[in-house]
Amino acid sequence: MAAVIDVKHLHKRYGDLVAVTDVSFQVDQGEIFGILGPNGAGKTTTVECIQGLREPTGGEIRLFGIDAIRDRNQLRRRIGSQLQESALPDRIKVWEVLDLFSSFQSGGADWRRLMEQWGLAEKANASFASLSGGQRQRLFVALALVNNPDVVFLDELTQGLDPSARRVAWDLIRGIRDRGTTVVLVTHYMDEAEHLCDRLIVVNRGEVIAEGTPQELIARSTRGIQVRFSTTEPDLSSLSELADVRHVERVGSHVEVEGSGAVLALVAASLVNHGIVPSDLRAIQPSLEEIYLDLIQTGPDARKEVA
Amino acid sequence: MSIFSKLTWTELKLFGREPFSVIFTFAFPLVVLLVLIGSFEPDDTAFGGARPSDYYLASYIGVVIGAVGLIVLPVHIAMYRERGILRRFRASAVPAWAVIGAQMAVGLVTAVVGSLVLIVAGRLLYDAALPELPFRVLGAFLLGTLTFLSVGFLLAVLARNARAAQAIGMLLFFPMWLLSGAGPPPEVMGSGMRTVSDLLPLTYVVRAIQDPWLGERSEPGQIVLLLALLVISAVIGLRLYRTA
Repeated sequence: MAAVIDVKHLHKRYGDLVAVTDVSFQVDQGEIFGILGPNGAGKTTTVECIQGLREPTGGEIRLFGIDAIRDRNQLRRRIGSQLQESALPDRIKVWEVLDLFSSFQSGGADWRRLMEQWGLAEKANASFASLSGGQRQRLFVALALVNNPDVVFLDELTQGLDPSARRVAWDLIRGIRDRGTTVVLVTHYMDEAEHLCDRLIVVNRGEVIAEGTPQELIARSTRGIQVRFSTTEPDLSSLSELADVRHVERVGSHVEVEGSGAVLALVAASLVNHGIVPSDLRAIQPSLEEIYLDLIQTGPDARKEVA
Repeated sequence: MSIFSKLTWTELKLFGREPFSVIFTFAFPLVVLLVLIGSFEPDDTAFGGARPSDYYLASYIGVVIGAVGLIVLPVHIAMYRERGILRRFRASAVPAWAVIGAQMAVGLVTAVVGSLVLIVAGRLLYDAALPELPFRVLGAFLLGTLTFLSVGFLLAVLARNARAAQAIGMLLFFPMWLLSGAGPPPEVMGSGMRTVSDLLPLTYVVRAIQDPWLGERSEPGQIVLLLALLVISAVIGLRLYRTA
């Protein structure tokens, strides 16, 4: 089966300003796909081009195998959009918005059910202006789903939400995927990407600088994994000989082993073989955030700024 | 229900909830009309033989048109653009004609209601006359409304944001209101004021409504002028809206 979204060499220029230099990626059916990157990296421009809200300067975009630039109108019904920085009239009521937007496409979802599902039923008669940040975001997601789309774009959905409201939003986003809708999530929160995304790309200065699952990105990192434990055993030379171990350091009874790949399993096995059984053995992986910052900083333009 | 009728109905409800729009469309013209009529004796000769109540009732229908077209509509559309509401409509595949059409329909309906409010109040309180040539008045009303709605649309497209639209709208509206025939009676205006009055498009709307209201035929030149303004602002407005 063809990919849900297939972007090849997308290029977008506004006059002299190049927003997207060269972006290519594929999104598969039923996954949460993350597009990460710093502000101004070209994330929003990329998804707006895919949604047909902007005309790309160059490249090819296919959704469900259909040319998204030429046959845009065939795709409208299959796309749901939660737009960044897009509000609603202050005095419109929640039920009126859902009723209105559901009338735009025939064969859409039942808006009353969506209102229940997204916890907005008790706010049905509240005006948009009176909603909290979290309620607004839930309304926007409900609006993005009102035409029963096959793929939904969520752009900076959790921006400005407090931590608990963000957790609620994450559950809701997983709920969308679990119902079979492919989700494209634009974010600059790494914890969000790490928790939610099945796969992701990191975009910087209009180019894709990394692609994979969060675990793949972490595993590929040069930062390595730290294994920590404490022991009174004086001789730990056997650890230094293990394949994936780079460095062993000990301060008093605290031992820190730096390595990569399967380092934790190898260290654990070796310790047990030598009769050392520490109760506090643990591995500390770099977070996606650290890896992301490494990626962004080693980019060509970051070096230029330092020089 | 079709997209257009659903949008129009929603927009009408939103209009009713917006004090700014309601005041400018209904309250402001009504209050000023009643004060002005009450300030003149019914046999005042400054109105070219017409009674002040009849003269001003016809001109204030023009003022309603000016307020809707120059203030209410542009502020509303510019606010929609500023807050990304138009983008949201576009992302939901709402055709541009339905979005613009709904705004025009709301403008027309509210201008009709605003005018009816004036007519009822004028009749009840001052026994103002109904139009002598009702169909010509209706034609002039429709032409004037459509012209000012498309001027307002152009203004909304040109304004950088809602506040700019409001400032420009007010700047255009207030001189037009005072000098188009809804302010001092023509007989007391100096020649300078008359010259300015002749340059203001609302003057032609007021005259095109007032003349048949008082039993005279409108001058064809006024109609041609309004038609030209309608076509020019609609063409430029739509072109800019598409590329915006």
